[in-house]
Amino acid sequence: MQSLRFLRTAALRAKPLSSTIRAPMRRGYADAVPDKIKLSLTLPHQAIYKATDVTQVNIPAESGVMGVLANHVPSIEQLKAGVVDIIEEGGSSKQFFVSGGFAIVQPGSKLSINAVEAFPLEEFSLDAVKHQLAEANKIASGSGSEQDIAEAKVEVEVLETLQAALKA
Amino acid sequence: MAFAWKQAGMSYNKYLSIAAQAIRKSLKEQARATAERRSQMELKYSRWENGKQGEVKFLGTAPQA
Repeated sequence: MQSLRFLRTAALRAKPLSSTIRAPMRRGYADAVPDKIKLSLTLPHQAIYKATDVTQVNIPAESGVMGVLANHVPSIEQLKAGVVDIIEEGGSSKQFFVSGGFAIVQPGSKLSINAVEAFPLEEFSLDAVKHQLAEANKIASGSGSEQDIAEAKVEVEVLETLQAALKA
Repeated sequence: MAFAWKQAGMSYNKYLSIAAQAIRKSLKEQARATAERRSQMELKYSRWENGKQGEVKFLGTAPQA
């Protein structure tokens, strides 16, 4: 009697398991998978994109530049200063230079980028960048305090990236 | 050059503020004025003792931790 009851509970338990095995997650070519990603690009003082459908976003992660398409694996990426390239629905692309921050890919094709500052490339002045770069280089190779030199080095890195982005 | 800020013992927050500052300064005249106005901040404090205000100290220019 005891063993019979055990068999029955075992059978009950096995049932839902076998059904999941028989019908695994299917994903074929014919499925209508949305190929858009909902992008939010937000700053503390402004939301540049607010859950807008876009095709692809390239982000400057610390680990390297990565492109995010629809159905990307959920992840959190720390960003460094660099260009965020947004390919919009129509195929046109927009480029923003961001200061760094975090990009969070959520399930369901959602991407949130949080940055301190982000501006379209057109709003930068190459002269201002060059001027600052010269100044930062002077401090970086000078004989200031260790803290000052480290800060200047970061500035040089950011400005060089910005300069390269503006010249491209 | 990645993680240069980390090697210098700098926090990511500090890195962000330096990067944001550099970006603001690199903008064209019009946009820069708006952006720099936004980044201004002031902080002052004073200690009140026996109902009297003590010395007012400005912290806006204090070095950041």
